[in-house]
Amino acid sequence: MTPTREQKIWMYEHMLVSRYLEEMIEEIYMEGKTPAFNMAAGPIPGEMHLSKGQEPCAVGVCVHLKPFDVVTATHRPHHIAVAKGVDLNKMTAEIFGKATGLSGGRGGHMHIFDPDVNFSCSGIIGQSVGPAVGAALSRKLQKKEGVAVAFLGEGAVNQGAFHEGLNLAAVWKLPVIFVIEDNGWGISVPKTASTAVEHNDIRAQAYGIPGHYVPGNNPLEIFRVAGEAIARARRGEGPSLIEIETLRMAGHFMGDAEQYRPKEELAMLKARDPIVAMRTYLMTVDKMSEAEDQEIVTRARKRAEAAIAFAKESPYPRGEEALEKVFV
Amino acid sequence: MTTVTSNVRKQTIARAMAEAIAQEMRADPRVFVMGEDIGQLGGVFGNTRGLFEEFGPERVRDTPISETAFIGAAVGAATDGMRPVVELMFVDFFGVCMDAIYNLMAKNTYFSGGKLSIPVVLMTATGGGYSDAGQHSQCLHATFAHLPGMKVVAPSNAYDAKGLMISAIRDDNPVIYLFHKALQGMGWLGTEPASIVHVPEEAYTVPIGKAATVREGRDVTIVGITSGVHHALKAAEQLDQKGVSAEVIDLRSLVPLDREHVINSVRKTGRLIVVDEDYQSYGVTGEIIASVVEADISMLKSPPKRVAYPDIPIPFSRPMEQWALPNPAKIVAAYESMVK
Amino acid sequence: MAVDIIVPKDLWEEEVEGVIVAWLTEEGASVRKGDVVAEIMVKKVQFDILAPAEGRVRILKKADEIIRKGDVIGRIE
Repeated sequence: MTPTREQKIWMYEHMLVSRYLEEMIEEIYMEGKTPAFNMAAGPIPGEMHLSKGQEPCAVGVCVHLKPFDVVTATHRPHHIAVAKGVDLNKMTAEIFGKATGLSGGRGGHMHIFDPDVNFSCSGIIGQSVGPAVGAALSRKLQKKEGVAVAFLGEGAVNQGAFHEGLNLAAVWKLPVIFVIEDNGWGISVPKTASTAVEHNDIRAQAYGIPGHYVPGNNPLEIFRVAGEAIARARRGEGPSLIEIETLRMAGHFMGDAEQYRPKEELAMLKARDPIVAMRTYLMTVDKMSEAEDQEIVTRARKRAEAAIAFAKESPYPRGEEALEKVFV
Repeated sequence: MTTVTSNVRKQTIARAMAEAIAQEMRADPRVFVMGEDIGQLGGVFGNTRGLFEEFGPERVRDTPISETAFIGAAVGAATDGMRPVVELMFVDFFGVCMDAIYNLMAKNTYFSGGKLSIPVVLMTATGGGYSDAGQHSQCLHATFAHLPGMKVVAPSNAYDAKGLMISAIRDDNPVIYLFHKALQGMGWLGTEPASIVHVPEEAYTVPIGKAATVREGRDVTIVGITSGVHHALKAAEQLDQKGVSAEVIDLRSLVPLDREHVINSVRKTGRLIVVDEDYQSYGVTGEIIASVVEADISMLKSPPKRVAYPDIPIPFSRPMEQWALPNPAKIVAAYESMVK
Repeated sequence: MAVDIIVPKDLWEEEVEGVIVAWLTEEGASVRKGDVVAEIMVKKVQFDILAPAEGRVRILKKADEIIRKGDVIGRIE
């Protein structure tokens, strides 16, 4: 399954939107947090798990999805939300804790919910699995179109919820795809220290479903493998597992000094930037001109800037609004 | 002219916890540590700092993200004679491993008719106020205190933190050790200076199940745990400016609960305010008030007051979170409404 | 003979400021050489500041104050 030029440009542009947004968030997040890094301070307080470097996983999968398809994600959700078509302005306002945010400020960066495009995420490791399985079950029961995709990290594969979810999806032959973003690190613990097998694709065998490992953090390869798995699910042939080798270009969260990470690895991060690789590919193979690139880059940057501006200009909720929306 | 305070060595709660565990590990080869990022990183909240360097990977084990497996394993190891100190990184993660905690760890002694001892210490981070939202900011005091079979301790300062950790490790029963993130002394979470106190270098114990009066007074008893203690002390200062003498009690343990200590104080003051960062309904504040009322309702000059978290998921946005949290002003307002 | 408690010039690489998170001792307290007397934080990393000698502590810069490499934050007398 090969992408059309249009799809390639779509993927490239969404990687850019995602990356620009993360960079702007990163800069604003650090306001008020120097020289003393106090997480509670500044316009964006709390934890922040940036997705820089992992964009290929989001675009390579979500390019195949429609708004009626369901995506569940993790504590590191921004790139996936962007690729799924989550309302960028309201998502950014939510990250800033503003009243115009997707949840009016109640959720924040780890709890992004956009029912219009069937996107949600959870801050608890492994808990993207169950809801995706349930969404797939619902579509099957209602004979409605749509597949579900659960994104999770390679660390989450060692949670019970993962194993239960895969088995259940397989036994009931549900239209769900499990996408593991393997960035090699569970905070400070490398995959080699936490996981009994080298690649998690082979675990799919334990549940009788197809498993694929995609090396190289390449959107085109991810496109191919994800496309096949999603098509399989749409045909009613059941779930699949995909593990993607990706790259965590920043720390686990903002504030992570990454002293546990080998210096050689940290030095190589910029050289392995998947956006640079994609740009080079598009220029070489698809003859994307400098002018076309500039157009895409400018469009992407403007979208991110508009979202940030919307968030900044929006009001905060009143304190008492905390009591609202517990029940419908 | 310097003050004659020799040998004052202050610790943050994080350092005190790590020091306690290290001293017990030196004394007893059966003590070992398991958890996520507790090895080379020294714990996300600094409470296992230095242990990996001193004791190595056999006794200080980074685990996969598999709470139900490694906490279940802690139960098994403890049953077989080891003394595990296990970390559940955030108390909010209890959902993925609660069976191992409340059905195994807490009940196996009873199921065995007292033949089996399960000396597990489960340490876990609680508390919010720094915008970490609904799945990373909870206290859950009541959740753990309510279920029978496990002791529950929660220090408000470094001295108690070390003493309670040593007591917990030496206790042959399972102990849940709750440490509040904002009191931990990690600069990136802000620091509560009053939790950084002198900690003796030698190993010592603070008894589990005994509350402490941290400020004496005559007009009102304010009871708190972890962050609540610090809010209470600040409120007491403010009340003092208005000529009101507040007595502040640090519960230090939730199970066993030192009801007598609180009752004796209320006998003296006649007024009671309970402060708790955990959700209000069905919790610590209700338990304390019920215990006092059951003992002798006539000693109360006015109905008791609760300053606790509302029954809502913890909101992310700063204005909402700060509005919801207990704070000294709410405690002062509670007193003033009592004496109107 | 007083000895300065200095923030080591080579403690961190970048040209950024740090902050004193906490003093783990008190004005006038006795310390031994090598005792941890203060904790500082530079961006996201915490460092220990050790007593350079045995004696009584004088605190010159308080908790929450900004510090640079080479700053004298206290003295041992």
